[in-house]
Amino acid sequence: MKRMTYLSIAILLNLILAQSAWAGTVSGAVKFTGTAPESTAINMDADPTCLVAHADPVYADDVVVNGNGTLKNVFVYVKSGLEGQTFPPAAGTVTMDQNGCQYNPHVFGVQLGQDVEIMNSDPTLHNVHSMSKQSKEFNLGMPIQGMKIKRKFDKPEVMVRFKCDVHPWMGAYAGVLTHPFFSVSNDTGSFELKDLPAGTYEIEAWHEKYGTQTQSITVDAAGTQTTDFTFAG
Amino acid sequence: MRPERKPRILRLPANFSNAVQKSDTGRGQPWLYRFSLLVTVATLFLILAGGLVTSHEAGLAVPDWPQSYGQWMPPMVGNVFWEHSHRMIAGTVGILTLILAFWVQWRETRRGVRRLAWVALGAVILQALLGGLTVLLLLPAPVSIFHACLAQTFFCLLIALTYFLSGTAPIVFEDTAALKSLQRFAGMTTGFVYLQLILGATVRHTGHAVTPHIIVAFLVLLHILFLVLKVSHVCPSTSRMPKVGASLGMMVLVQFFLGIGSFVFTRMLESNYAPRMGEVIFTAAHQTFGAMILGTTFFIVLRAYHHE
Repeated sequence: MKRMTYLSIAILLNLILAQSAWAGTVSGAVKFTGTAPESTAINMDADPTCLVAHADPVYADDVVVNGNGTLKNVFVYVKSGLEGQTFPPAAGTVTMDQNGCQYNPHVFGVQLGQDVEIMNSDPTLHNVHSMSKQSKEFNLGMPIQGMKIKRKFDKPEVMVRFKCDVHPWMGAYAGVLTHPFFSVSNDTGSFELKDLPAGTYEIEAWHEKYGTQTQSITVDAAGTQTTDFTFAG
Repeated sequence: MRPERKPRILRLPANFSNAVQKSDTGRGQPWLYRFSLLVTVATLFLILAGGLVTSHEAGLAVPDWPQSYGQWMPPMVGNVFWEHSHRMIAGTVGILTLILAFWVQWRETRRGVRRLAWVALGAVILQALLGGLTVLLLLPAPVSIFHACLAQTFFCLLIALTYFLSGTAPIVFEDTAALKSLQRFAGMTTGFVYLQLILGATVRHTGHAVTPHIIVAFLVLLHILFLVLKVSHVCPSTSRMPKVGASLGMMVLVQFFLGIGSFVFTRMLESNYAPRMGEVIFTAAHQTFGAMILGTTFFIVLRAYHHE
């Protein structure tokens, strides 16, 4: 009996390790070529609370070119190749905060059925207007500092735009997907799609101003594939 | 053979002049007339306020209705200022219209004028409900367009009511054929202006119908310029109508350039994180001038049918 138990545990462990051994990673950077557009300083005079929240000028975040010549806030995800596979929603909550009269993060990904928690960290009122075309659109008042609201999306959509109708410079984008294989390029322009099963996929990079680009990539079991995207200004 | 009669709704009273002048209301109740004029001017101001809401993209800055963020007076920050100001002005116009309607019932003897006052009150109540619906249903285009067009219609109702309360003497026309031509042409022009307003509201709230709006703009421009000529030719100078016509001509020329400015800011310049000041000014002024042009052409129709 003891021998059977140890054997079962060993087989189970092997299966778990083997599954992760069959998963690959796609990583890379989103590069930017050409002249970076001149950043527009945001005029926050319309709300004194927003004005005092920043000691330095705040610039529009639609195009953020990093110091190393890469592009931030590019949503990279698996567009096709996962058909027929189902993935449970991630356990955690994705948080979008209204802080200093700006959305943080500006671009993010979320799975179907996963909670998006929207917070108001500002001592002023905001409204959160989700302009989704596939899921039900909503427009919610958040007048109190510390207020939190949770919402879920029930249909995939790339991308859902969020705006604050009170503060017109505020905007964010959410990629709503059926699977967890997405990433947003960071301050160094890099992205990473982890634990991808072996196979051939179409990977798409989306930017709010420069549009989309796609690449086909084949992922080996337990391997890392590197690919870069380049957007021109 | 009996002459064919127009449908009842299109028939003005056989003796329209008597119907307007029968009562001494205008001369005997100058304060009622002045109050009606005040409500009419306040309505034009309300139309401008509504235009500023759309131009600032503030239509959903207050997500609840009739209160604003659960209060009757929210913090007037950001675009809440434009949206809530519009609601306050609308509430004021609603109350003024209510007072006007009851005042007319109290002091006015002509049944048609009393009914018109009730119709105006019904229109402003409907307009308030439409405003609430646009917010609660997240700005569906048909509701927003209807809200915009009803505003203009309500404005015309008030112009008519104010005119009937003014006690203005009818115009004496010597050339009956020319008068009938003026009546038809003024009516047609008003119809085209109203069509242009519907198209303008469609452009504002859907982004579509820009080409038809531009085409009809040229049609309206020509029609109004011909109308100005007709008014100066047909109406005696003592009626002041040639001056009204000249004002209309100036307005439509200004409107044409406001339309060009609106097009440049909304269609040709690269979009900004928020509407530029120039875009707000041109589009809101373009909308308001549209209301003034409609009101003036409608006034010309009223005067053309009020004759001896």
